[in-house]
Amino acid sequence: MPPTAVTRINYTPPDGGWGWAVVFGAFVSIGFSYAFPKGIAIFYKEIQDFFDTSYGEIAWVSSIMLATTYGGGPISSILVSRFGSRPVVIFGGLLCGIGMVSASFCTSIFQLYVCAGFITGLGLALNLQPSVIIIGKYFLKRRPIANGLAMAGSPVMLFTLAPMNQFLFDHFGWRGSFFILGGVLLNCCVAGALFRPIGAATGPAKSPKARQAMETREEQLETGKAELPGPGNEEREDRDCCENFNKYLDLSLFKHRGFLIYLVGNVLMFLGFFAPIVFLAPYAKHLKIDEYSAAFLLSILAVVDMVARPVTGLIANSRWVRPKIQYFFSISIIFNGVCHLLCPLATGYVGLVVYSAFFGLAFGMVCAMLFETLMDLVGSSRFTSAVGLVTIVECCTILLGPPIGGTIIDVSGDYKFMFIKCGIVMVLAGLFLFVMNYYNYRMLAKEEKRKKCEVAKKNDEYLRKESKESNIQNTKLMQDGPETAPLRTEEEAADSTNES
Amino acid sequence: MSFSEARSVIPLLLLLAGFCLSDAAKTPAPATMTETTSQQTTVNISGSTGSEYATHITGPSKTTEDAKELTEKIPVLAEMKYNITLKEFSTEVKNITLGQPTVLELLCLLDINPLPDKATIEVTWRMGNTTIRDDNATKDEHQNIWSTQYMAEIKNRTQLGNYACIFKTKEKAEGIFDVQVPEIGGKSKSLISYEGDSVVMSCDSGKYVPLDWVWYTMNGSEQVFINDTLRPEKYQVSPKNLNITKLKVLGLTENDGGFYWCEAIFLQLGESRGKASLKVLTYMAPLKPFLAIAAEVIILVALIFIYEIYTRKKEPVAEGEKEFEQTEQLKSEDSNGVENSTARHRKV
Repeated sequence: MPPTAVTRINYTPPDGGWGWAVVFGAFVSIGFSYAFPKGIAIFYKEIQDFFDTSYGEIAWVSSIMLATTYGGGPISSILVSRFGSRPVVIFGGLLCGIGMVSASFCTSIFQLYVCAGFITGLGLALNLQPSVIIIGKYFLKRRPIANGLAMAGSPVMLFTLAPMNQFLFDHFGWRGSFFILGGVLLNCCVAGALFRPIGAATGPAKSPKARQAMETREEQLETGKAELPGPGNEEREDRDCCENFNKYLDLSLFKHRGFLIYLVGNVLMFLGFFAPIVFLAPYAKHLKIDEYSAAFLLSILAVVDMVARPVTGLIANSRWVRPKIQYFFSISIIFNGVCHLLCPLATGYVGLVVYSAFFGLAFGMVCAMLFETLMDLVGSSRFTSAVGLVTIVECCTILLGPPIGGTIIDVSGDYKFMFIKCGIVMVLAGLFLFVMNYYNYRMLAKEEKRKKCEVAKKNDEYLRKESKESNIQNTKLMQDGPETAPLRTEEEAADSTNES
Repeated sequence: MSFSEARSVIPLLLLLAGFCLSDAAKTPAPATMTETTSQQTTVNISGSTGSEYATHITGPSKTTEDAKELTEKIPVLAEMKYNITLKEFSTEVKNITLGQPTVLELLCLLDINPLPDKATIEVTWRMGNTTIRDDNATKDEHQNIWSTQYMAEIKNRTQLGNYACIFKTKEKAEGIFDVQVPEIGGKSKSLISYEGDSVVMSCDSGKYVPLDWVWYTMNGSEQVFINDTLRPEKYQVSPKNLNITKLKVLGLTENDGGFYWCEAIFLQLGESRGKASLKVLTYMAPLKPFLAIAAEVIILVALIFIYEIYTRKKEPVAEGEKEFEQTEQLKSEDSNGVENSTARHRKV
């Protein structure tokens, strides 16, 4: 196991059993969240004619949807901390359904922004984050595999949604299709039903004595440092709203070294992450490749992506990679960047096919480990808040990436500068993560050593103290009363030293 | 205009010179003269205006004033050149699309190896089924190519069709120029809309801008003209003089379904039609799949919850026991720890 964050969970994750059903639910949920904004682009041409707007105005629907999915992260985190994953995902599914059904009755483009963009996006946000969170709760030893399998939902759903959307469009027009897609999104509720609650946070209430006993035992195991357990606070009534808020959304994460490294690296990476996919087909058409072959490139990308994600999960779970999973993540980002830098060398269709295949591989590798590395850095208990904070910050760069790429293409008139820009950004992000994680691993190893020394010291002190006291007490005992009284006092003394 | 006038005078002078020089009868003279002049104009035509060319076609015997009148009446024509190069004994077709009256320079080249060993090759120019010219092909000595050329003036719809050059060699070599008005691009799939809703149908004429667009709908097997000024609350056509037209039909009913024709009218050359089809559905149509999917979702969620309650019923007894065991264990461990330490101390 990696020398990483204190997990502070007081149960053993099943690493299997019902966990695989949860992975399937997460597969569906994550799939819809990522694939749906891209999938509805098929309807844009007709909607554009209907409302008499430009393509740019219609494309805003996807952008608003994606922005809300990522921007709604903190809301998701707070709700999951309070209610657990299951109710949030079911509510999210209902919200998506309502959003799309109301979108089918829209009479202006602005209403479409609100219904299809905002409401559906919010519903998808309430799907995405809880799905990722609950995987962290059900898996520990096999978590990378679970993450890889769940994230594979995105390309599989996209592959399924694209032809299905075309079929719906041919038979029902855009309004009918939105209506039916509202129904399809209700399947997220099914996924949510699979998210059986687990763990002390949402499990049945245990007796206070048993809970306290478990907590003291846990502390003895961990650090020897005196840290008050979270749930113990629930017994105290006097708290102000800031502490209340902090209980649901842990803002102290911004002082967490690993979290900050992840945040900065990922924010930089997302500037160049999505733009190449958006511009791959237009680039192919620019090179005088016909429309069907250009669409086929995206299919190759999706198929390679589909296979790469679970395989990456398997590799990341192996005992050689798991301890140093951050390095694996940084290397895959650098690989991704190098692919983009080499893309301008591909001038023919065969070159572009090779590029698509490698890009699909790199894209799948990075996506599979996107949330796994965050879980690895902050630990399962703080991951709930971490994922919300990370997604809302990433939301800005995700939205900025394709428009910046588009501006570069318009200004320079050539696609290769956009690929070079994306490649450079990703290589820099990968290098940053690599170097900073090397530093982080070293600091964590140092801290581990220090803690072990402290624990050893404290144990020695405790033993010395106890021996002194027991010697005194033993002499007293021989002089005074029965033996049961000293046992109780020693127990209390042990408790007090632990609680101080 | 003065420049072109001056230029038009020079060939006329040449004509008069030809007249004086030749002793032949008047009837053949114009023929030869038109030939020479036409040859001359082919040399000049690349740098001249269409109006000048019009002057010559109408006849060599006209005076300068008459020629001027004619140039003012006939509008400026576009000019285009098209070639067909025949590399073997076969038929080759070239499609020519015109959006306005045009003067076409059609050139047929026979470039076959080995070159037929003949002094002359006869060429026939045909339009449709009628022969328009019988001629001899000219040989280019340097490149070993036989060529023939025809100037076609396309001014109205009767002049659209197939222009063919046929080389009268042992095996036939034929080049066909298919001159047509542009095809209108409509949509191959039908548009789907709902009752009470509106729909927009569009037609595209590519690079060619027609004079006007007209929309028709089918009533049974008859065509019905769509008059948007008469019923503006139902039909809106916009715009009319660009290469894309849009018909917006409001307040749809089931009767509005069917085929629609958009007709583009090109200057003097006729019309061209595109097709669009419309299907009008009721809201019941998407509702059925929606209800089916919603039912499936409800059933699956219910099944999952039932399964969970069923497995939970088996667990709570075991869970209670486990908890009890755990607390017992903890108590015993704590006390064990203390006991151990006391044992140790006692040893000390």
